[in-house]
Amino acid sequence: MGSFVLRRILYAIPALIAVSLISFLVIAVPPGDYVDRLAETNAAKGDIMPIAEQEALRQAYGLDQPLMVQYWNWISAVVARGDFGYSFSYNLPVKDVIWPRLGLTVVLSIASLLFIWVAAIPVGIYSAVRRYSAGDYLFTFLGFLGLAIPNFLLALAAMYIAFAWFGHNVGGLFSPEFVEAPWSWARVLDLLNHLWLPMIVLGTAGTASVIRVIRANLLDELHKPYVTAARAKGMGEFGLLMKYPVRHALNPFVSGQNDIFVDIVSGGTIVAIVMGLQTTGPILLEALRTQDMYMAASFILMLSVLVVIGTLLSDVLLAWLDPRIRHQQG
Amino acid sequence: MQNIDRLKSLAAVAALFLGATALPALAQDNAGLCPAGYAEAPQLKAMVDAGTLPPVAERLPLEPLVIQPAEETGVYGGQFVDSWGGGNIAEIRHFGYEPLVRWSIDGAEVVPGIAKGWEISEDAQTYTFFLREGMKWSDGHPFTADDIVFWWERVENNPKVMTGGPRNEYKVDGEAPTVTKVDDYTVAFSWSKPNGLFLQQMAGPYGQRVVQFPRHYMEQFDIDLNPEGVAEMMTAAGATDYAAWWKGNIGSYNDPAQFNDPKRPSVHAWIGTDTILGKERVTFVRNPYYFAVDPDCQQLPYIDERVWASAPDPEVTLLQSIQGQLSMSPRNVSIPQNRAVFFDNQEAGDYRLVPATSCDYNTAVLAFSMNHPDPVKAQVFSNKDFRIGVSQAINRQEIIDTVYLGQGEPFQPAPLPNSPFYNEAMAKQYTEFDLAAAAEHLDKILPMGPDGVRLGPDGKPFKFSVEINADFKPDTVDAFQLIERTWEQVGLDVTINFHSDELFGNARAKPDSDASVWVGENGCGQLPLLNLSRFMNDYGGWSLGNWSGWAAWDIKRLNPDAELPEGWEPIEPSANVQRLYELRSLIPQTIGEEQTALMKEFTDLQAEEFLVIGIATPAGFYRAVKNDVRNVPDELIEGWLYPGPAPANFASFFVRSE
Repeated sequence: MGSFVLRRILYAIPALIAVSLISFLVIAVPPGDYVDRLAETNAAKGDIMPIAEQEALRQAYGLDQPLMVQYWNWISAVVARGDFGYSFSYNLPVKDVIWPRLGLTVVLSIASLLFIWVAAIPVGIYSAVRRYSAGDYLFTFLGFLGLAIPNFLLALAAMYIAFAWFGHNVGGLFSPEFVEAPWSWARVLDLLNHLWLPMIVLGTAGTASVIRVIRANLLDELHKPYVTAARAKGMGEFGLLMKYPVRHALNPFVSGQNDIFVDIVSGGTIVAIVMGLQTTGPILLEALRTQDMYMAASFILMLSVLVVIGTLLSDVLLAWLDPRIRHQQG
Repeated sequence: MQNIDRLKSLAAVAALFLGATALPALAQDNAGLCPAGYAEAPQLKAMVDAGTLPPVAERLPLEPLVIQPAEETGVYGGQFVDSWGGGNIAEIRHFGYEPLVRWSIDGAEVVPGIAKGWEISEDAQTYTFFLREGMKWSDGHPFTADDIVFWWERVENNPKVMTGGPRNEYKVDGEAPTVTKVDDYTVAFSWSKPNGLFLQQMAGPYGQRVVQFPRHYMEQFDIDLNPEGVAEMMTAAGATDYAAWWKGNIGSYNDPAQFNDPKRPSVHAWIGTDTILGKERVTFVRNPYYFAVDPDCQQLPYIDERVWASAPDPEVTLLQSIQGQLSMSPRNVSIPQNRAVFFDNQEAGDYRLVPATSCDYNTAVLAFSMNHPDPVKAQVFSNKDFRIGVSQAINRQEIIDTVYLGQGEPFQPAPLPNSPFYNEAMAKQYTEFDLAAAAEHLDKILPMGPDGVRLGPDGKPFKFSVEINADFKPDTVDAFQLIERTWEQVGLDVTINFHSDELFGNARAKPDSDASVWVGENGCGQLPLLNLSRFMNDYGGWSLGNWSGWAAWDIKRLNPDAELPEGWEPIEPSANVQRLYELRSLIPQTIGEEQTALMKEFTDLQAEEFLVIGIATPAGFYRAVKNDVRNVPDELIEGWLYPGPAPANFASFFVRSE
């Protein structure tokens, strides 16, 4: 088992190097660089950035160097000192931009995951057990609706409703007075007060697919002989359902959660932008749009590391479950 | 109502920007204005009583700036909440407009700001500014001529921080001024040639830079004056390049970095309490040393705090505005297209709509590549008949009615009617929609081919494309969809390419791009004078479409030894265009009637050459202002060189509590 894990970790290293290199190159592929974007933004305002100033900035930021040199400077600092470089547009070290937002992102993502599970699993079970009942049709209808409506549209509609009917403070995860306040109970309560809207919006599509997965899996299990056998032995209907077929039905669902880390960190970018949430998604998009090289590259590197860790964990889990995998060469 | 508003707005702008050029001297005499002393905000009073702040009379200059409130004397207190999208809180048009001299609210003239007065020598070669004795930076340190000389020598002319050298706005005909300290409160700028534009330049965004660098505080960041200290700070920040570190940590007139350091002294009405770096919401508080008072001798500003809340998405900003969360709606959502939703929510959001006149001289300027590398295209694009035909095949009224909601009038790129440089021919020629006339003009250069598509001079079907930035001005997308249709009717085979913000820069910079579109800015009042380059399609190194051959010719004309940007080859323009380039250099070096005469020649030649094509004057702009925010003028002006609405004196705004 130990050597299996070690092997997997060793495989991960070249994968990460490749990912970091490719993502860096891909960011640099679009024509122009950060200074061009800056000049463009200024031009949109009416301000003209003299060519000499642009050249000077390019030099100052090291953007005039060959791409491979830029990559090497960045990656060697990451590996040697854990220094992810400097975000041009924020004028801050990349880690100072990402870390404060990461906490909120994780809270929001976990909240919406919990929402999905809490809402979808019981409904899925109900739909399977009461197949073709009015309730099943209702939930199926709602589920498909949730799946079919794009998140951002739902977000806009939810914001408008919250504004027009409830006078709710829209945009962001906090009321104005708490945005930059230190953590306190009042701030936590304020966060909870704002969290539910994005949580529901982000959760809707997920809920629908989880309902469908659970329902389909459970339908396969419900008529298996072991269920009949258990029932014949006089087992209570609810206990039986929970103890055998539901457990089986959850298997594919659990193995489908391998990209959970990535979802947690980068989930719901578009919704976050539309709703003005202080999460990581919008800054990644912004960094890519403005070609804020180190910011974007560090972000993508972080996401890749999470994918690799997630895959590693699921491999380890599978290996632990299934000896055949453990003893294979791979 | 609409009409009355419009009339009022016309009346207001009729007075706009008159006679700011040749004022020989203006000084304000406020000494002895307030013999009974000054009043101050209760918070500051408490600090004075506690002994932590000097009394108000010692904090104000001997002759403070007196700001006449737009409505009434205000009361202290309240917050002014702003929204900003993305990184740049330093947006001068909402914050930080405290230049050496200012535009008056209506933009009619340049009025005292930091400088209490000025004197322009008879030959306009020397501008002398008089500072306010006793004026202080926000840390209580005296503000003197030394600070301005420090900026000139250690910032603007320091190749280690401003690698490009001083900005053009300070120069005349490429020559930078000599900046001298006459005495502690007098500073002089002089050139060997007359400078006809310096005062207006100093009232614009670039006049801000002059008064931004408190010498006593800034010396520590100068790598020559404090090498060890700077090295230490750079190591702490993990920076290796001085210029980059400086730009990111000290910064200039428009860099957010100027607000990184809350300890940095400033002259603004509100000052930071914390760094703005990485913040979602920042609060600025009253500067106890702000140098202005109201006519009742109360120190300004009235409003306690200015708050910025980040909202990256315009839809969120719009919702926040109509909910009444923002004291004044930001420019990016206060557009004609949102007028209805703003109007409907006035009561719920408890705000009013204040009309705002745009200083833009056109909603869209279309320029063709005169120096296209393909000789056939170059020949067609530089043919005036072609451009006339293209212009007459645009149904401007239809665009105004549908895209601009009936606001504005058909217009070519030209100074606005409220400008003393308005030239009717330049502004209105070829704006009528006339397909027959258009076809007649086009026939002269592009004869109609057999299948309804015009043929180029080489006998092949003639096609061209137009590059548009869809993110920056979505209205141009709608407008050009209509234009494409009418162009088709006269046999023009056109492809309109819509680009995102990121890609537009590249599309318009391609040497073989056919034509591009951008907004026309700074066309009201005196501003065309400061904006001659725009009328020559020079956007500071780029142009709409390829004009680099003419631009290269002009560079060589001014300096035969100049190095040309890569890929530029001089192409000699026609005599008229040559004269236009000459006038662009000459006009800033003249004053008074001579300047006016040359401007007339410039606009006449522009009208004759008809180089670029426009659609309409922008109209229907406004700002939603909370009902409790008072002293906002009845009419605001939007612009850049007039950095509206900032000249409306935010320091005199106050919040009326019920």
